[in-house]
Formats: sequence, structure tokens, C-alpha cells
Amino acid sequence: MPGSDSTAHRSKSRRPKYSQFSQQELPAFKLILTPGYVISTFIVVGLIFVPIGLISLFASETVVEIVDQYDNECIPKDFRDNKVEFIKNKQTNKSCTRTFTVPKQMKSPIFIYYQLENFYQNHRRYVKSRSDKQLQSKKNAAHIRECKPMGETDNKDPIIPCGLIAWSLFNDTYGFSVKGKDLKVNKRDIAWGSDKNYKFGADVFPKNFQVGDVGGKSLNSSIPLSEQEDLIVWMRTAALSTFRKLYGKIEDDLQANDVITVVVENNYNTYDFKGTKSLVLSTTSWIGGKNDFLGVTFITIGGICLFLAITFILLYVIKPRPLGDPSYLSWNRNSTPTPGR
Amino acid sequence: MIQEADIGIGISGVEGMQAVMASDFSIAQFRFLERLLVVHGHWCYKRIAQMICYFFYKNIAFGLTLFYFEAFASFSGQSVYNDWYMLSFNVVLTALPVISLGVFEQDVSSEICLQFPALYQQGPRNLFFDWYRIFGWIGNGIYSSITIFTLIMAIFHDQAFRAGGQTADMAVVGATMFTSIIWVVNVQIALTISHFTWIQHLFIWGSIAAWYVFLLLFGMTSPSTSGYAHHILVEALAPAPMFWLATIVVTVACNLLYFTYVAYQRCFKPMDHHVIQEIKYYKKDVEDRHMWTRERSKARQETKIGFTARVEAKMRQLKVRLHRKTSSLALQNVLSPS
Repeated sequence: MPGSDSTAHRSKSRRPKYSQFSQQELPAFKLILTPGYVISTFIVVGLIFVPIGLISLFASETVVEIVDQYDNECIPKDFRDNKVEFIKNKQTNKSCTRTFTVPKQMKSPIFIYYQLENFYQNHRRYVKSRSDKQLQSKKNAAHIRECKPMGETDNKDPIIPCGLIAWSLFNDTYGFSVKGKDLKVNKRDIAWGSDKNYKFGADVFPKNFQVGDVGGKSLNSSIPLSEQEDLIVWMRTAALSTFRKLYGKIEDDLQANDVITVVVENNYNTYDFKGTKSLVLSTTSWIGGKNDFLGVTFITIGGICLFLAITFILLYVIKPRPLGDPSYLSWNRNSTPTPGR
Repeated sequence: MIQEADIGIGISGVEGMQAVMASDFSIAQFRFLERLLVVHGHWCYKRIAQMICYFFYKNIAFGLTLFYFEAFASFSGQSVYNDWYMLSFNVVLTALPVISLGVFEQDVSSEICLQFPALYQQGPRNLFFDWYRIFGWIGNGIYSSITIFTLIMAIFHDQAFRAGGQTADMAVVGATMFTSIIWVVNVQIALTISHFTWIQHLFIWGSIAAWYVFLLLFGMTSPSTSGYAHHILVEALAPAPMFWLATIVVTVACNLLYFTYVAYQRCFKPMDHHVIQEIKYYKKDVEDRHMWTRERSKARQETKIGFTARVEAKMRQLKVRLHRKTSSLALQNVLSPS
């Protein structure tokens, strides 16, 4: 029948509306690792890493570092068999003099660290044993829940600052002199600014600190916690059992072959747990202290990349595979047809 | 039958919706079955296989670093990362790239899937989820975790990490190690994905950026929430070149292994979809149409099982016999004209 009214009866199409997203046809970049890209990536990475490694290594080499372990030598010979008793005895003379020579010129500021070994500041119960709320503000003085066993005195009076971390505060002191002249040690600005300004309150004063069993340094109860920089530095728990913490800065230059005399007050008891104590003087570079590892790693990775680039170039020259060659398709590679699957 | 099968497909139609209700997938017309199998089935298999392998890798790389740290913390159970970092790892920072891998990844476009049905065979032959691959990814995760941990620990050893003389405490080491992990796993997924739309770029690079933003915002909360992460990015980490350099070297060191493996496989032992991707990339299908048509026809294998196949095989057999009979008859006629 000519002129049928098919348009009136055409059923509505139920095809869903087309969109690139729903049909998964979004414009895309296909990452295809051709030999050109691979080799150039290796070369670029190698050429960037090796110079960075050399610069880092050079920076680390310019750092001058003096490490002096004194915990053994600073015990008088009579007490060498009984170190723990020596250190715990309040009557013994803990002063000890150490001397060492500066190997190369050290430009100021020279940083003084104390280094402890076999001291696990990263033990879970040690890390937990503090009260951040109490440190922050005077009104939280009674927040001592996490601090047990160093939370309160026998009279149930809260200790400020409470907890094992504060109680075990390092208390050796060092006095430096060179050529008979005392070197001034700047003990300000050794802690992080955010700690001094936000975490340790200016209205919190030490109370009942080290009254029972003495674990470390006592604190002057008229100085607020925000200015007790030794405590602030100590309370940032270290990641490993061998660590250094900043003690102070010397703001004079030291020349090569200068003989430094240090008067050490050997107070801190590391002998109970066979820990060691060392004194470290170090300059810094733009990258920090002396550690060749970063530079060596960069050079190694860069070197590996360049080696891989050369290997790929050789492999590609010896056994090239033409790209897009259909003879590498699996149904062309098997010359005998596999019996039906 | 639909219930018994591994995957049951029901077709909704004039006979009602019973099949649809009993099935795992349902389609509207029988002709959609081809697309369902050859395009979506193929993509789905690869997406799921890659996603599962990557997910194991990511969590192994992250979780094992925690275990290694225990060896240095006298096995006391202290975690080197802040709790908030660990919470956000699987939820915020590495979830979206995995979703984009599992939902959007395509090795070849849908036209190629339809033109080369043989690519579907990668599924039944289980080329992407065999034990070699699974253990390979797990091994990659173990290697990454060892590399991240040893490099970061050795770089931040005990010396100062900044020109200001400050030494690295657990918060600094933890934040740097976590930053490295985020970079490593996200660059890894960027190397796994072959089909990059704006969604993948947003998710992957956005996740890495989200980590820095998270660390920044977390550091701005009160010290009773953020603890030692308070202002850590702004004050301690960002101004320290060691932080950025350590992240870069760890990322490259961890991903170098996978990159080399993939590069070697692609260049010298390519799989079918790699070759086809290259043919499309270098436009060889346009240059050499004859080769393209020939390969396409080779990729469509005649069916060898089922009723139709048996009928056709029987027909071929009869044809051969008929041909032999007629040729022997013709020979007889030629030899003895009687």
C-alpha cells in the first residue's frame, strides 16, 4: 500500500542516549612503551640522577664531623667494673675531660649533638607515655592518663611534665674551650618553632618533677615549658635506637688542627642497658649532615638506568623486533595449527 | 541452566523476564551477546585480574614497611606512621586509581575486540591471573617495601637532615616514608594502566596531590589531634631538600624493576594485544589493508564444537567422499571405455 503511515506507527527507540562516558569512548592517551620511549626514559633518568648524586655526595663530603664516644672513658678506672653503681652514686665526681683535634676548618654554625645508641625511644609504651594536653596548657595539668607510671607522685599530685619520655631527659652537659678560651654554646632555637609555640605552653611550669626516682635531668620550675628547649628536643622521639639530638650551636669558626677541650658531666645512666653515649660536632651543608648514602643511591640508580639503556640498545640492535609486525601474533607464531581447543 | 553456569546470561524478550531474573547478566537482544562476550567479557577479565593483583601489591608494599620497622622498635608494636595516615591510605589516597583501573581500563578499543575475537581467548587461557602473575605482583610488593624502608632509613640515618642542623625524629621519618609509598604505588598504577583518559589522570595525580593537601591540612589542626604532624609539612619537610630528593630516588628505585620487566616484555616478547596496539599506533592497518584483513580473518576461528560444527564436519566428509567417488568413476570411464 503506497504512502503507508509508517512514520505515525514507528515505535520509540529504546536505545540509551549516547555519551562518550557511558560508551567508554572517552578520548584517551594510550601508553605504549616502544623501544624509543624506553631507551630515552632510561637515558633521561640516568642523566638527571647521576649529577644530582654527585652534587649530594660532594655536599656530604664538605661536612666536617667529629664523633667522640666518651661513656667508657669517662668512668674512672676504679669503677670500670661497676659502672652502674658509679653513675647512680650521687657523691661521685662525674666530671670528665675529653680532648680532640679538629681535622678540617669548620665554619659556624657548628652543631653539637649528643648521640645515644641502644636507646629505644621508639618503643610503643615509651612513645605513649606522655600527655600532650598537659604540655599544652596549665588547665590540663590533671591529664595524666597515658603517663603511668610517671603520672603522679605518691600523694596523687600530678607530675608536670608527666610520662617516661620527660622523666628520662638526658642530663649530660658539655663545656667547650679551645686554646684556653671558652667557647660559647648557644642553646636557643634548637627546638622546632611549632613545638615551642603550640605544643609546649608558656603557662605550664614544671612541678613535682624528678621528686622520686630520678631518671634524668631536673627542670627549673620557674622557666615555662615553652622555653625548656632541651626538654622539647628530647621529647621528639627518635625513629631508631641510634640517634642524635641537638644540644646547642657554636657560633664561631674552628680552624684545622685546633685542639678542643670538653668538660663532660657524665650524669646520664646508659650503663644499665648497655647503651653508649657520644658527643658529636658537625657542620651542615644545604642537604644536612654527613651522609653519603643519598648521593651514592642517586649515582647507583642513575648508573643502573644508563646501563639498562645501553643493554636495551644492544638487544635492539642485535635482535630487533619490527614494531607492529603481525608475524608476532600468537596465531601466526604457531606454524602448526593446534588441535581444536 | 542459567543458574548452573559460571556466568548465566538471560535475554529479555517476548517470553517474559524469567531468564533475566535468574541470570548474572541480561541483554535485550540475542545479537548483543557478541558484544557482551568479546568486548565486555574481554575487558572485564583483564580489569579484574589486574585490579586484584595491583591491590595485593599496594597493601603488601605498605603493610610490610610497618613490619620492618618493628624489628627496629624492639617489636613493641609501635607504628612508624601516624594513625591518620594509615586510615586514609586505603580509603582516600589509593582507592580512586584502583577504581579507575577496574572500571575504565581498555587494552584495545571495542572495534578491535570485535574484529579480533581471538583476543577473547586470553581469558579462557587465563593468561592474566595465573600463579606466575600473582606471585610476580606479590614479589614486586615485597621488593618495593624493602626498597622503601631501607632507603628511607639509611638516608635519614642519624645525621641532620636540614641545613638548620635538626635531626629526623619518628614523625619526620614516618611522613617521608609514607610520602614515598604514595608516590610508588601511584606511579606503579600509572605504569599498569595503558588507557589514559582525563579520569585516570585526575585520580592518579589527584591522589598524590591529595596526600600533600591532607598532610598540610592535618598539620594545621590542633596539636592534640595531629601530635607531631603539627605543621610538619610546612615547617620541617617542605624546606628540606632531603625530603624531596629521598621521595624521588625511592620512587624511581621501586618502579624501575617493573618498568624494566614491562619494557622487556613489550619489546621482545609481545603479547597479541601489544602487537595490535602497535599496529594501530603506527597506523599500519591503514597502510597495509590487506595484512589487516588477513589477520582479522585469521582471528576468527571456525567453531569446532557443537551441533553446527558436527553438521558442517559431516558435510565436509561427505563432500570429500563424493569428490573421490566421482574422480574414481571418471578414471574408470577413461581407462575402460565400455
